[in-house]
Amino acid sequence: MKALEVIIAIGVILGAIFGLSALAYALGGWIEAGFPFFGHRLVESGLPGWAWVSNMLILVLGFVMLIATFLTLAERKWSAMIQDRIGPNRATIDLPGLRGRPLGGVFHVATDALKMLTKEDFRPKVADALLFNLGPILAFAPVLALFAVVPVGPQVTVFGQRVGLQVANPDFGMLWVFAIASLAVYGTSLAGWASNNKFALLGGVRASSQMISYEVALGLGLVGVMMAFSSVRLPELIQGQTTHLWGGTVELPRLGAVNLGIPAWGLFLQPVGFIVFFAAAFAETKRAPFDVPEGESEIIGYFVEYSGMKFGLFMISEFAEVVILAAITTAIFLGGWNIGFGFDSTLTRALTQANLGWLLGAIYATVFWIKALLLCYLQLAIRWTFPRFRYDQIQSLGWKILLPIALANIFITGALILVDPSLRSLAVLGFVEIGFVLALTLRRPEPAGHEADDAHLPADAHGHAPPPLPGAAAASHH
Amino acid sequence: MAYKATKNPTTDLRERLFLPELLRGLAITTRHFLRNLFNPRDTNVHVVDRKGPNLVSTVSYPEEKTPYPPGYRGLHRLVPRDDGKPRCVACYMCATICPAQCIYIEAGEYETTDPSSESRVIEKYPTQFVIDELRCIVCGLCVDACPKDAIRMDTGLHTPSEYNRSGFVWDIPKLLQGPAVSHASDPWNKRASSATPPHQHHEPHTRIGEGLVPLKLPTGEQQKRTEVTDQAIPVTRFLKD
Amino acid sequence: MSESDRKKPSGDAQPSPPGAPTVHPAAGTGPTPTNPPPSPTASGPRAGIEHQPPAAKPPIPPPTPGGKPTPKHPGFVTVTVDGKELVAKPGENMIDAVKKVGSDIPYYCYHHRLSIAANCRMCLVEVSNSPKLVPACQTPMAEGMVIHTNSPRVQEMQRAVMEFLLLNHPVDCAICDQAGECKLEDYYQRHDYRSSRLEGEKLMRAKRKVLGPTVVLDQERCVQCTRCVRFMAEVAREPQLGMFGRGSAEYIDTFPGKQLDSNYSGNTVDICPVGALLNRDFRFRARSWFLSAAPSVCTGCSRGCSTFVDFMGQDMYRYRPRENEQINKSWMCDQGRLSYKYVNQHRVAAVMLGRGEDRREATVPEALRSVAEQFKALAGTEGLAVLASPVASNEDLLATLSFARDALGVRSVFVSGRPGGAGDHYLMTPDKNPNRRGLEWIARGLDLALKPFSELAQAINSGKVKALYAIGGEVPVDPSLVAQGFARLEYLVLQASNESAITAQAQVLLPAAVHVEDEGTFTNLDGITQRFRRAYPPRADVKPHWAWAVALAREFGFPWAHASARDVFREWGPRVAELASFDWDGAAPPVKIARGLNPLPTAADGRPPGYREFGPPRDRGI
Repeated sequence: MKALEVIIAIGVILGAIFGLSALAYALGGWIEAGFPFFGHRLVESGLPGWAWVSNMLILVLGFVMLIATFLTLAERKWSAMIQDRIGPNRATIDLPGLRGRPLGGVFHVATDALKMLTKEDFRPKVADALLFNLGPILAFAPVLALFAVVPVGPQVTVFGQRVGLQVANPDFGMLWVFAIASLAVYGTSLAGWASNNKFALLGGVRASSQMISYEVALGLGLVGVMMAFSSVRLPELIQGQTTHLWGGTVELPRLGAVNLGIPAWGLFLQPVGFIVFFAAAFAETKRAPFDVPEGESEIIGYFVEYSGMKFGLFMISEFAEVVILAAITTAIFLGGWNIGFGFDSTLTRALTQANLGWLLGAIYATVFWIKALLLCYLQLAIRWTFPRFRYDQIQSLGWKILLPIALANIFITGALILVDPSLRSLAVLGFVEIGFVLALTLRRPEPAGHEADDAHLPADAHGHAPPPLPGAAAASHH
Repeated sequence: MAYKATKNPTTDLRERLFLPELLRGLAITTRHFLRNLFNPRDTNVHVVDRKGPNLVSTVSYPEEKTPYPPGYRGLHRLVPRDDGKPRCVACYMCATICPAQCIYIEAGEYETTDPSSESRVIEKYPTQFVIDELRCIVCGLCVDACPKDAIRMDTGLHTPSEYNRSGFVWDIPKLLQGPAVSHASDPWNKRASSATPPHQHHEPHTRIGEGLVPLKLPTGEQQKRTEVTDQAIPVTRFLKD
Repeated sequence: MSESDRKKPSGDAQPSPPGAPTVHPAAGTGPTPTNPPPSPTASGPRAGIEHQPPAAKPPIPPPTPGGKPTPKHPGFVTVTVDGKELVAKPGENMIDAVKKVGSDIPYYCYHHRLSIAANCRMCLVEVSNSPKLVPACQTPMAEGMVIHTNSPRVQEMQRAVMEFLLLNHPVDCAICDQAGECKLEDYYQRHDYRSSRLEGEKLMRAKRKVLGPTVVLDQERCVQCTRCVRFMAEVAREPQLGMFGRGSAEYIDTFPGKQLDSNYSGNTVDICPVGALLNRDFRFRARSWFLSAAPSVCTGCSRGCSTFVDFMGQDMYRYRPRENEQINKSWMCDQGRLSYKYVNQHRVAAVMLGRGEDRREATVPEALRSVAEQFKALAGTEGLAVLASPVASNEDLLATLSFARDALGVRSVFVSGRPGGAGDHYLMTPDKNPNRRGLEWIARGLDLALKPFSELAQAINSGKVKALYAIGGEVPVDPSLVAQGFARLEYLVLQASNESAITAQAQVLLPAAVHVEDEGTFTNLDGITQRFRRAYPPRADVKPHWAWAVALAREFGFPWAHASARDVFREWGPRVAELASFDWDGAAPPVKIARGLNPLPTAADGRPPGYREFGPPRDRGI
């Protein structure tokens, strides 16, 4: 029964995403077509190019903020499940039908928001008022601006107009991401400095140094993909990933020609670039294991003096960064809305013929968000799996590991693209790398190893195996 | 750095590559996540007896309550006599021993003409007996100190929550609860009034040498005895396996 | 002093206060030896002292032909106590004497101010000139005598006596007020410390039998030491108690149909070593270990008995007599014991301004300003009079009368004070004011004439006196009559400690401290000046008289900066001829205040939690 409830809940979430995407397409088309209404148009010539208004509202304020908000709950609930706890389940609403039903703790989102909004907005007397107030604004605004260049759905025809789910598609594409992402650190370091608190200042300084260290690897990690698809515009990167590396068209009955080839996803071409970019971007979100700027056990962090919604802005911007990182990674490395394995051509053909452009777009956008949500889960799971790096470990990881690897990756990628412009040799190298890591991961460790694999746990231990007695461990060696 | 990490010679390529270990770690947490997400929770209050694929070990108080162990020091109660009044004689022993200083007592005197035959032979009683349960640290010293078995912590309850501090200040009407207790040595079981009993002539006697109560040993002697008993338990019992 | 501060003076000899004359041996009996004199034998280890060969004893001089040994120290008796040499005065009691060398003989019935009864048998010791154990209280010390107070024989006998005394003793220490200062408890811990071997029931006797207005008796707890009987016969000279019955049926009681109504019956409670006799006023009000004690003086009459003040927090619980050879020996009267109640009850707590319906609470600066405004206009005229009470201490009077003379410009002072009462044959005097002699001395020293209270009444009635500065609210006649007279005054400034009909007539009412709340001196009717110490600080705005006088003088523009009663005495004490030579610091009783346990719960705001929600504290002093 629980599994059914979970599947229903997932269905509800996907349905909501689908509905919101469809609404975005419909609204965009409606605006571009000049608000058609019972055969009449409010604007005769339409408003070509004005769909960015609805896209901005629905993508940034709708998708990003809603997902970020619910991620605050997810962080608590998922971490509870990872750690064999229950998690938030106390808030209920006293309405018929909802009475006494916590619904997985979903109302805690509302209570948290209410708490943030109603708490005293405290400012230390010695803090600089202007800079203190500017801190959360500067931390929050760039994060939302980042999302402007991320394409969520393809260009489809709605109300006779070509509409895509992207706020803006400038020529500089990825460079916008790099530029704006580095701006976010101004908010944190400003908050740390303006608080007039030594611990806050420490947090701000740590954030700045971490940002500088990983900015390099962040950029270099993406160079390979840019070289492979010869563009920095995200829609073109996605379009490039929909091409097939191998395999050809197969004629299937009732479905027509279906391409069952392997898509050229960035992950297959650039697994090393993926790891470097993901690690660097993760460091920029300042989440565990890269959370030394926060470091609640040592310095509490750059927001130590903030309370109420100002602190809330810092927190929500962190989760918005999680969403945006997931979206950008999806677009660059996971093929964006591409489904692959023959579905794309069939779907596109069928729905374009039926003139259901909005439906096609909504399906693709849902696929995009499914991938992004899985990456969100990955980020949360990483936060609850790995302990915090020490500060020197962070710096050596950034400068001494990620940077050389990224540079080497660029040279090798460049050489392979030069040799084989069809990207197939690059893909072969990628598959070899992925296979090598997977083989190492799945290989059983040697039984005499010093680690206690959980495969050795007794079957009836319910996951709570007692630690081996010292005497027992010693006896097993002899 | 505060310390230098040694390179463990047993690390192999997998561990030095770091990435496979990260993936394995993620696999462990994800396995827990999925088991707990898709399976119903066992609500057995005895956590060690829980079965099933769901690994959650939380006891979701107050819907589920772990039974308190025997000897649990719960909320105080003032033990009543058979006539419903507290056994307490306001000797202040509990107030004296209390490390949190949470007991306040005021003493009064029963009249020799009190209608209750139990009260008549008791001189002192508490007119006020107040325990601030917020200040109480539940150490149980008051129970140990009481010479009259008048205060106990055998209710098996803990302090209920209240909306203001005054609710935690428990006075006699709230504290006086539970079954009445009477001992053979209680004065009302021995005499009817405070006056000299009218005709009392039975020889109080001792039989010298018989039933001699052993002298209380100095603490050093007693410790020696305790150590001997401890040694009787073989230490190897704990080192099995 | 350490133990006896807290405990009742139940016969334990207390050191005399400084200034009390001590009995010196007659001059010419030789130089007073150091005690104990250096002796090689005294430095040996204590262990196995009972097996010491006789050679280890100090060398006894060869006997003189008369049969008596030659004194080692002429004019003194030299004995050996537990291996240490003791040089005692002739006729000194053995129990008191052995304390000087650190030995301790337990006892119940012995009291250094009563006759020797030797009936408790607790003080049995082993001496060299007797085959049997002898009672230490009764045995005179002889030259060369060897005394063992701690030998196995003595220990076994002490244990046996304790068992015997506890045979029928009800173990109701839980409700016994003596618990904590009970010799039976102490000696049980030290000498017996084992369970009772009694099979069968203990004897039952009358409990809480009321003997008189002051004392209640529990016959079960009595150990028949007869201290109370001897006290009533020998010291109070009112033999109201007697010993009746015999054997295990022996008991203390009053004579049939009579009451224990002597004015000194309270002392029997003090000297009772167990909880048989208890004070009805103090009974069940506090456990003894909660109480702290401060050396003080009784203010019940002009005798000025030395006392301890037993207090807890800011409440006084009882007076106990303090040893003073000159004045009260070890005793005090029941009237004096009960005279403490005004310290707790009906105290003036706040500065009040206005009379009748205009009366309101005021701040201290406001009140001082008002007084200064009114008095400055009248200073030096006939219309302004000063009234001083002989209940105030010397320091209070020194400061207030100096203020009256220098600032108010008066040349004479009217005397108020408590009305006279009955005296008795021993300690209590008819004058109920503790410091009349001090007031006389100080007025003389400051060139002020003293006028009786009746003249003030005439002056007010005739309209000559319009404003009055009164130190102390006690008056020698009916307060309501005085209040009617004072109502005619245009302006009355009253420093009073207790509410009365008179305080209602004050335009400015300044709350005054009582003697337990400040340090100072009293001079009793014999001209003996005694220091008393502060037990606890006064509450809130309450200040001693001298502090009010200093504050008023500063308001008048005088550069007075006295911060304590000591400062006041150092400033003006030398002007009074009789007090000039008084060593204020040296005469102080030992400063140590034995602090009681303080287990009464107090919240962060200083109030017990029981009171936080159940209304204000009950009437102070319970």
